[in-house]
Order: sequence, then C-alpha cells, then structure tokens
Amino acid sequence: MLQMTHLSKSFGSVQVLRDINLRLEKGKVLVIVGPSGSGKTTLLRCINLLETPTEGEMSVGDLQLHFDQGTKLRKSDILALRKRTGMVFQSYHLFPHRTAVENVMEGLITVQKTDKNQARLQALEMLRKVGLEERAGAYPFQLSGGQQQRVGIARAIAMDPDLLLFDEPTSALDPELVGEVLNAMKALAAEGRTMVVVTHEMKFAEEVADKVIFMDNGLIVEEGTPEQVFRQSTNERTQAFLSRVKGNV
Amino acid sequence: MSDRQIQIFMESLLPLFKAGVAFTIPLALISFVLGMILALFTALARISGWKPLALIARFYVWIIRGTPLIVQLFIIFFGLPKVGIVIDPFPAAVIGFTLSVGAYGSETIRAAILSIPKGQWEACFALGMTRWQALKRAVLPQAARVATPSLASSFISLVKDTSLAATIMVTEMFQTSQQITATYYEPLLLYVEVALIYLLFCSVLSYGQARLERRFDRYHAI
Ligand SMILES: Nc1ncnc2c1ncn2[C@@H]1O[C@H](COP(=O)(O)OP(=O)(O)OP(=O)(O)O)[C@@H](O)[C@H]1O
Ligand SMILES: [Mg+2]
Repeated sequence: MLQMTHLSKSFGSVQVLRDINLRLEKGKVLVIVGPSGSGKTTLLRCINLLETPTEGEMSVGDLQLHFDQGTKLRKSDILALRKRTGMVFQSYHLFPHRTAVENVMEGLITVQKTDKNQARLQALEMLRKVGLEERAGAYPFQLSGGQQQRVGIARAIAMDPDLLLFDEPTSALDPELVGEVLNAMKALAAEGRTMVVVTHEMKFAEEVADKVIFMDNGLIVEEGTPEQVFRQSTNERTQAFLSRVKGNV
Repeated sequence: MSDRQIQIFMESLLPLFKAGVAFTIPLALISFVLGMILALFTALARISGWKPLALIARFYVWIIRGTPLIVQLFIIFFGLPKVGIVIDPFPAAVIGFTLSVGAYGSETIRAAILSIPKGQWEACFALGMTRWQALKRAVLPQAARVATPSLASSFISLVKDTSLAATIMVTEMFQTSQQITATYYEPLLLYVEVALIYLLFCSVLSYGQARLERRFDRYHAI
C-alpha cells in the first residue's frame, strides 16, 4: 500500500529526513514514535505531499512517484495522491464556518462532486461511526476537543481513502478526552483500514500497531513489532526515549 | 430661524433627497460593488504565485493610494479629454471611485485572506481540493467575516466621498446644495441641511453594518 525508498527531505540546507525506507501492507497499522523534532510530522506530510520530498521514491497503491530536486511534481499526481490519502491533524483544522455534518460533507461535495443530499446521508453515516450523529448540526466551537477530533476523523474517512494519516491526533486533548478518539481509531483499525499514526500513546500502539518505527534525527532508528521496539530494543536512543514516555505505556 | 429660513429649509429637502436617491446612493452603490470585484481580483493577484500579475496589482495600489482622490477625478474628467477620451460626469465619477475602492479594499481583503490559518488550506488540500477550491470553499468565506467591519466602514466613507463628484459636475447632493445656496444665499443653513442628510444616510448604514456583523457571529473563529 505504502512504500518509501531512499526518501529524504530538506528544508533549505537542513536535512530533516534521511534515507527513509519503509513498507506498509494493506490493512496494517504503522505507528511512528520518536522525540520532538525527529521528523515524524514531516514524514507524514510527505506521504500526502503537503511537503515535497527532496529525493527518493514513493508509491501509494498503484501510484508511483519519483522525487529529485530539479523536477516539479505534476498537479494531477498530487491530486491523485491526495485522493488516496486522508489526514487527521493534531489541532483538527475543522472548518469553523461549517457545522459538523457540513465539515464531513465538504470533501464529498467539492472533490467527489457528490450530490448534496447524498453527501449529507454519507456524512451522517460517518458521524455515526465516530459516535457523533446527534451533534451533526453543531459548529466546531460548540464541540469539545475530543468531539472536534472525531469530526476530523469522520471528515477524513468520508472520502474513503486507501491510507489514513494521523499526526498526534490526541496530543492537543485533555487527558479525559483522549480515550474517545483512540476508540474511534481502534474501530477503524478493526475495519481493516491502512493507517499511519504518529502518537505517543504507547498503550494504543501496543494494542493496535502491526509495525512500529522509532525515529530520531530524521532517521528510522528501529523498526519492528510493538513488542520488538518497546520491550526488546537494545538501542540506547530508543530506550532513552521510551523511559521518557513510559507514563503512557 | 426666521420664517423665510424655515421655508427654504423645507423646500430644499425634496431636491436634496432627490439628488441623494438619484445620484449619491447609486454612485456609492455602483462604485462599491464594482470596486469590491476589482479589490478581490487585485488581492488574489497579489497573493498569486505569478510574479508579473502580482507586480501589476502592486503598481495599481501604489498609484491610487499615493495620490488624492480629487486629483484622480480631475484627471479622468478634465484631463482625459485632452487625449480624446471624453467621459460623462457620472461614469467618470464611477470610474474614479471604483479604482479607489478597489485599491484600498484589496489591502483589506488581502490581509483578511492572509489572516486565515495555514491549517485551513492544508485541511482542504488533504481532502484533495485545488488551491482555487480551497480559496472558494474555506478561505474566502472566513476572510469575508474578518474583512466585513473594515469594508463596511469604507462603504460609509465612500458615501461621504461621493460629495467630491460635485467638483466634476455630477449633480449629487452636495452639488445640489451648492446650487440652492447660490439662489438664496443661505450657506450655513443649506450646508448644515445637507450635512444632516449625509448623517442620516450614514447612520442607516452603520445600523446595517452592525446587523451584518451579528449575522456572522453565528460561528466563532477557532
Ligand atoms: N516548514 C519547515 N521549515 C523549516 N524547518 C522545518 C519545517 N518543518 C519542520 N522543520 C524542522 O524539521 C524538523 C522535524 O520537524 P517535525 O515537525 O517533522 O518533527 P516532529 O518529529 O513531528 O516533532 P514533534 O514531536 O515536536 O511534533 C525540526 O527540526 C523542524 O524544526
Ligand atoms: Mg510533529
């Protein structure tokens, strides 16, 4: 489903991702962990081309892209890639001028050109999945953080992407609201959706991840099952990081 | 006030109002609507990635903001005939005011667009929208809310500024008050009277502005 080969990314002269190689099969969940500034967000944003990798190859489904500094990406490739991916942001980025259901309908109407009534039905179905059907008419400011993030998830899955990306979806939330969002994500994983999740929620990672990568300083330092990375790692950097986030295990 | 003054005051009300309805208000409305369209395109040109377009837009704003409106009106109405371009007073005033509204309005709209968080664009892009779709569906509706108070104020200013059209022979309200003054020689009375009518118009508009802003309050920016 997702493959990256020798992928790297620089901002100006600062190299943020170095020679990233990874593979994720359809239906699997990949969790990315690592200290602040290690490049997790950048890696995730490269997958849907909110950032353009500087070098390397990437394929999502049947779409293959090659990056090098000289060539600009084709607009059609960018749009095609974004149709295959959905993203859930750390600070939700809901549309404040639209109600919950309108937020979820937005992509259906504007991108997929779905008829409005049909889009509303589909959007309500998505809200039901994240347990928010009865809040469909609320504006984002009328919802709690956890509810807003669940709308964010509904908005992403409404487009039925092949690959779902989550960037620290619970780290802006009060602790008591984290659970409801993680539960919605677990349900998606159980449905067999392919997901890439940046998170510091170790318990979630252990339960849900098929694969974990630990990043540091733009490199994938370690890669394996949750058991391998969280319990059996002998890598100093991994252990140092894990002892810092141990509270979440 | 003497009886004569009261009579002049009462008799002047109708012609002044007529000039207001026939010239001042249409002049302000037409110029504002056209000016807003121009302002939007100018703002978009300035934030577009295309350099030549952005440069043209900046040049236009620079010229209009750096010269007095009355001088611009004189150039259009008295100056252009020298090169064979003769424009009637009313359309000449519309052109002048439109260019002015377009330049100042573009600054307001540009600032409003830039004030919308980057995350809104990215949320649209992540859904697969193009830049244009993101602008139309998410950014402009929110920018409109940000820009409304300031644009409404410029409309109110414009209503008053239309009095400058008196200098290029548009028989709007102020011009009409001057004509009546020339007949009766009651400058204080008539200029205060016309001032009161401007005040009335602007008060109605301020009320409308407050209503419009309340309408936008149904959602909060977050
Ligand atoms: N647009 C940008 N321009 C320049 N540098 C950037 C940009 N975005 C990120 N960086 C840099 O890239 C590095 C990796 O950032 P990134 O946000 O990917 O880290 P992260 O692992 O997500 O960190 P966190 O856990 O704090 O979210 C950081 O050093 C950051 O300063
Ligand atoms: Mg990050």
